[in-house]
Amino acid sequence: MSHDISNAPNAIHIQDLTLSYDEHRVLDGLTLHVPAGSITALLGGNGAGKSTTLSTLLGFVRAQSGTVLVAGIDPGVAPDAARRRIAYLPENVALYEHLTAIENADYLLALSGDRKDRGVITDALAAAGLQERAWDQRLGGFSKGMRQKVAIAVALLREVPVLLLDEPTSGLDPRATADFNALVRAVRDRGTAVLMVTHDLLSAADVADRIGFLEGGRIVEEVAASGTERFDVRALHARFAVASKRLAA
Amino acid sequence: MSLVRYELRLLLRQRLTIVALALLGVLTIAALVSGMAEVARQRAAIAAVPAAQAEDIDAVADYVDRTKDAGSAAYYSFHPTWDAPAPLAFAAIGMRDVAPYIQRVRALGLEAQIYDGDTFNPELALPGRFDFAFVLVFLSPLFVIALFHDLVSGEREAGRLRTLEALPHGGRALWRRRTSLRLALLWAVLSIPFVVAAAIEGVSLPVIAIVVLVTAAYLLFWVALAVLIGRLRWSSVANAATLAAAWLVLVLIVPTLGHVAINAAVPVAQGAEIALAQREAVNHAWDVPRENTMRRFYANHPEWSDSAPLGPEFHYKWYLAFHQNGDESVAKRVAAYRAGLEARDAAGRALGWVLPSVGVQGLLTRLADTDLRGRLAYQDRVRDFHARLRAFYYRYLFRDLPFGKADFDRAPVFEDVPGR
Repeated sequence: MSHDISNAPNAIHIQDLTLSYDEHRVLDGLTLHVPAGSITALLGGNGAGKSTTLSTLLGFVRAQSGTVLVAGIDPGVAPDAARRRIAYLPENVALYEHLTAIENADYLLALSGDRKDRGVITDALAAAGLQERAWDQRLGGFSKGMRQKVAIAVALLREVPVLLLDEPTSGLDPRATADFNALVRAVRDRGTAVLMVTHDLLSAADVADRIGFLEGGRIVEEVAASGTERFDVRALHARFAVASKRLAA
Repeated sequence: MSLVRYELRLLLRQRLTIVALALLGVLTIAALVSGMAEVARQRAAIAAVPAAQAEDIDAVADYVDRTKDAGSAAYYSFHPTWDAPAPLAFAAIGMRDVAPYIQRVRALGLEAQIYDGDTFNPELALPGRFDFAFVLVFLSPLFVIALFHDLVSGEREAGRLRTLEALPHGGRALWRRRTSLRLALLWAVLSIPFVVAAAIEGVSLPVIAIVVLVTAAYLLFWVALAVLIGRLRWSSVANAATLAAAWLVLVLIVPTLGHVAINAAVPVAQGAEIALAQREAVNHAWDVPRENTMRRFYANHPEWSDSAPLGPEFHYKWYLAFHQNGDESVAKRVAAYRAGLEARDAAGRALGWVLPSVGVQGLLTRLADTDLRGRLAYQDRVRDFHARLRAFYYRYLFRDLPFGKADFDRAPVFEDVPGR
């Protein structure tokens, strides 16, 4: 099902962003807008600039030129303020194995300055699809999917306007991927702007409202789902391949 | 659960942390117990001195009482001096385990008696006895390394660092909290047993406070170094190796080289050479005409010059006079030796301003009065006492007064530092 985002304000606003490490230009005039209540997937190969884009949004690195705004805040200028509006899931969700799911959520929320009652946390864990018997278990024996559910629950609890996902479905089995995508859609439906960077075209096509193809530090092709139609993966693949060749030429 | 409790829980779930803290606790307590036992042994030995002295004097007094000869009394009777340990000595034994803390002296030549047992090692930075100072200066940095080498790198290696850094405030408050918690645990493991031991030993509150603050400051130095190296974003193993190398350099190599350099720059003769020179002067005096000896003695001590001239027979006042002449013949050497030791000590303390390990060791032994200054202060007290002892016997010898059993009770008695 597609999602109408035509009138939503941009929670992520990136305009003509340029960033270089030494002589190597990683972002080269990147422009990207993610409206509130939408999911944008950023696809690209290694070195395309996906992780750097996330680092810029989190205020880890500052661009040499261009504009970056997260919920109206420049993370380069006010990283803490920007991070208060961002929930971030890295590729490998590594939490504290000695703590239970509830304790992990409570601890991360406390670190964020966003403490919640146990009941609120368990509601979020349930909403994230974590079975009740796992709530008080230590994370040592959790699968990646279960860990992601804990992390997503934390993101839900923080009630932030922006969710950044770094390769969220890598290493997940199809069932876990489908569960995760459903969860991301639920987050979006709460009005959160979701930006996911991924290699996984299938997953992106399944969950995203828009897909941008990042290469050489800028978006060379961008496709939005239209109406109730989902993306045609073969067509997407072909378009991205053409765009890539065009850029190379 | 509060954040601090979470941090404590996470920290104490790590086996290395538990082992490190437990080991440091055991070493600290063992060092304190060992120091207290050594000090108790020294106090017991000092406490036994009066009874042993009374026994010795009794043995001499019977003989002396028959002859009424003050010379025999001066020659045969030893008089004890002692250097009772300061309350903090248990924590920093310093030179107390290598320099005598009980010395029996006679009214004869002093220098040979003082330097006869002069075997102490002035190299402050070399490892000494296993005491609290040793645990703090030499071992505690290793435990700082154990707890801090992976403070940030451990999170990076576990894949959590980016998650933590993406939180508001970039995790700065988190690192401050974790650093403070680890530092507080190490400090508590060192300080709590120390405070208990210090209270038992009757150490004054200001001194306890200084030691506890010095402990915190020294740990803080190593924590700062660990944090600094952690900022290089190396692996935990590389951090640990670098910090271990820093420990080796800052605690062992540089202090040792520093003191070798100080010893080379400030040459000091051995104390035993002074004793030997004094003895040679005394032995040579048997071959010197007695008039020459007495002339020299009276020139330096005119207060006795009105004493009756020597007869042809042996007289102890001549014997004691050439002993004192022997002391005076090495006076310049003694002054030079002492000046050399003080110069080395001053250079060692200067080194302490740039090398925390040397500085902390020096400060603890100063507070405990177990350093070179404490040792020299004891020597000064022995010298003062010996001067009184000489004056006491000289009055009988040079005035030809009879010396009876009861006169031993009038002999000066050594007084230690008040309050010990």
